[in-house]
Amino acid sequence: MPKVARLHAILWGVFSVGGFIAAFLLPVLIYIVGIAYPLGLWPISGQDPTTSILNHHHLGTLFLFVTVAGSLYHGIYRFQSTLTELGLARAKRALEALGYLIVIVGILAVAYYLLMLNPGVLSLP
Amino acid sequence: MSKEKPFPEYRRKLGPGWWLANSHFTQYMIREWTSFFVAVFSLIYIYELSLFASGARADALNLLKNPGVIAFNVLALLFTLYHAFTWFYLIGKVQPIKMGKTTSKPWQALLVNIVLLLIVSFAVIEILVLR
Repeated sequence: MPKVARLHAILWGVFSVGGFIAAFLLPVLIYIVGIAYPLGLWPISGQDPTTSILNHHHLGTLFLFVTVAGSLYHGIYRFQSTLTELGLARAKRALEALGYLIVIVGILAVAYYLLMLNPGVLSLP
Repeated sequence: MSKEKPFPEYRRKLGPGWWLANSHFTQYMIREWTSFFVAVFSLIYIYELSLFASGARADALNLLKNPGVIAFNVLALLFTLYHAFTWFYLIGKVQPIKMGKTTSKPWQALLVNIVLLLIVSFAVIEILVLR
């Protein structure tokens, strides 16, 4: 019976979902938060976009969590794999461990800060 | 089956610059490096959220207005869009859709997904920023 790498398959599946999130949701977040707001471009007029997004309690918080957590997982997972292809193959295990540590701490941090900013988000809309 | 291999396994040793040997490899490596910008933007934004959460909203907004951060964000947007467009093209290549006797082409998947990306982006702006 061949050995099935179930955990690897699950992690790769999550990575793939993160790729979709980074492709569909991250560009608009980078634009409104990192470019339109500091340069005063459309559609920003006055209030900073993070506050505007968080004003839509459940939807805004969900959008930020999914986009940031999904993109972080996808970015780190692929970047550590890229480093192994650039001559760091011997450090593969260490890079994977460091990568997953950053991902886990990062996702917990996003959840914690969003809960602090919107404490009522866990209640039903 | 014995674990011993009948013949020694030959693995070609690659140097750090192997991806410059061929334009396909170079494109592949540029695509892989988009992950650096995706990851670093996410980490910077998590730091932004930490400043918001700790009440240092002014510091968070000043950081966003730093010219170095703006330049990084412009690069991050370009690389993220490169990631998105190549991802959409790959979807069309990996999962072509059969419609009767014709099969969808990768560029059609790219086009459809770019339209979807624009719809999603405008929806986010309209619902979460402008309302």
